[in-house]
Amino acid sequence: MTTIKELYDYREMIFSLVRKDLRGRYKGSVLGFLWTFINPLFQLIVYTIAFSFILKSPIEKYYLYLFVALVPWIFFSASIQGGANSINAAKNLVTKIYFPREVIPISYVTSCFVNMLLTFIIIFIVLAFSVVFSDVQINFIALLTLPVIWVVEYVMALGLALLFSAVTVFFRDMEHILGIITMAWIYLTPVLYPIETIQNERIRKLFYINPMTSVIEAYRDVLYYARVPKFSTLMIAVAFGIIMLVLGEFVFSKLKRHFAEVM
Amino acid sequence: MDRENAIEVKNVKKKFKIYYDKSNDLKDRILFRNRSHYEDRWVLRGISFNVKKGEAIGLVGHNGCGKSTTLKLLTRILYPDEGTIEMSGRVSSLIELGAGFHPDMSGRENIYTNAAIFGLTKKEIDRRLDDIVEFSELEEFIDNPVRTYSSGMYMRLAFSVAINVDADILLIDEILAVGDANFQKKCFDKLREIKANGTTIVIVSHSLGQIEQICDTSYWIDEGLIRESGTPKIVHELYLKSMELKRIEQLEKTHTHETEKREQEDEEKKKKISEEKAHAEAELPAFCHKTAIRMGEGQAEFTDVRLLDRDGNKKYVFDTEDEIFIRMDYKSHRKELKGNFGIGIFREDSLHCYGTNIEIESGHFAELHDSGTVTVKVMNSLLPGNYFLDVAVHSDDGRMYDDIRRVCSFVVTSDVRDIGVCRLKTVWNVDGNELVRREANE
Repeated sequence: MTTIKELYDYREMIFSLVRKDLRGRYKGSVLGFLWTFINPLFQLIVYTIAFSFILKSPIEKYYLYLFVALVPWIFFSASIQGGANSINAAKNLVTKIYFPREVIPISYVTSCFVNMLLTFIIIFIVLAFSVVFSDVQINFIALLTLPVIWVVEYVMALGLALLFSAVTVFFRDMEHILGIITMAWIYLTPVLYPIETIQNERIRKLFYINPMTSVIEAYRDVLYYARVPKFSTLMIAVAFGIIMLVLGEFVFSKLKRHFAEVM
Repeated sequence: MDRENAIEVKNVKKKFKIYYDKSNDLKDRILFRNRSHYEDRWVLRGISFNVKKGEAIGLVGHNGCGKSTTLKLLTRILYPDEGTIEMSGRVSSLIELGAGFHPDMSGRENIYTNAAIFGLTKKEIDRRLDDIVEFSELEEFIDNPVRTYSSGMYMRLAFSVAINVDADILLIDEILAVGDANFQKKCFDKLREIKANGTTIVIVSHSLGQIEQICDTSYWIDEGLIRESGTPKIVHELYLKSMELKRIEQLEKTHTHETEKREQEDEEKKKKISEEKAHAEAELPAFCHKTAIRMGEGQAEFTDVRLLDRDGNKKYVFDTEDEIFIRMDYKSHRKELKGNFGIGIFREDSLHCYGTNIEIESGHFAELHDSGTVTVKVMNSLLPGNYFLDVAVHSDDGRMYDDIRRVCSFVVTSDVRDIGVCRLKTVWNVDGNELVRREANE
């Protein structure tokens, strides 16, 4: 509880770190902040070309199918991988002054999150075009559940970032191990393919142990299939999110006292 | 926690792991699993103190005594292994100035970032912005990127932010070296003002004078324990005294060590010379300082020159008020020589402090025996510094028998802070009352 209150007191520090990160990311480049939009836009264009002409997929409008899942996935994996290293990267602050240490991973994940939300602007624009120029549909009621999915994914990413950032301080190899884990993880999550691809019922059930499965499915329900996600899907995701956040903060709070000693 | 206290430190202990050979990789971990690679070093061995609200305290001690660790524990960068620390109110630290400064951002933006790190909200920063800018005297430059600032401007800005946080407890580590003399004075006045407003202050510093000016209490930390506490002036004098003793011990040690080494080398040389029987040219004997210069015809010569204290022990470091005994052993190669022994004392910058000889002192010369000893008792009044001694023995008509420049060196120390070359006795009288001379360390 005291941590939450303290974090509230230090909210300006979180905002300022997020601002610094977002602005600093493209600092010095000619297009500057525009890159935040240009990057995903061209990514989408490349996918569209690749999967419409080169690698034809049986899934209709595969570029959209892929993109609505890939954007949230990139946020998730960046949060874990970058988040894990965030405390180490902020060594100067951590060893020199006091602030609630949670500020660092929170700012990192938040900055990735804001970046994803900005990318969603591109998704919406593409969706709008698709509605006008082809037969894609939009379900406005389903779109209302989108903020819930965002929050759930944010909470999950934050939980893991807290956990891994604290562990990485003491065990540097974690950073590299996480690189391998996230690489494998994308294939254990129906990001690039529909879950129906898995024929075996039992194995398919196992996939739902993966917290990201429900999240990705929910995104796809809303943005690709234009339908409200199943309540059970959402509930599973919420439950996972809470568990991960509690676990992450538990480990973090145990380890944070010794950060300055080992850095 | 007592309501009157801002900080309560109870029996705090802190250890660090000192790694002999830190290796983290798997191979070493598996191979040498049972080998202990580190040792626990207790930096703090049980420190307790309370600081009342509005009180200012200073922590003093030699390097590595644990005072900065104490400050880091108060800042909550580190946490104690045993014991508790309780604090009430917002804590701000002037330990790391300019934390989170971004060189590409303007001074104004950096004020926001930096203040946010101290836990201020945007509103609070807005309210303080004018004060911060005004205090830093950077009005014209506040919208320029910080990388264009001089280091003095940079520190001024950082200090201004930190000191305007309005903390209940302010922790300071060796900071009052910011900017030029003017700005330093301003910082100092600001600190006083802050203190007068009821802020509790903890200062770690080697500048004892600054602590004496601001603090009510001083704690002398030694080897991880509080050795003395109380009125800064008194604690500091005890501390300085102990430091001085340590220094003298160290000086004596290195000096003895060097002399021994020289004597040893000399032995070896002598051996070598006698073996080779190569040349008759005299090398500098062991009792001479390594920069000594020896001249003279050699009818009589010194065999040993040394500095002693009253009890006849060899000594190297003297107090201004000490008695110094110069003992010169000589031998004479001819019968019935008359000699004039003389001494000279030079400061290391070649200032000739004093010189005299037997003829000046007594009006006649000494009859030289085959061998003998001349002792000179000197009532020292030289002020602290490094000195060299010259000795000489001349004939009654001024011919030089033996003359050694810089035959030995010695050091003078003192607790008294008078300045100059040597101490002149003074008696002060103010409005008819004669002042009583203060004894050292009282």
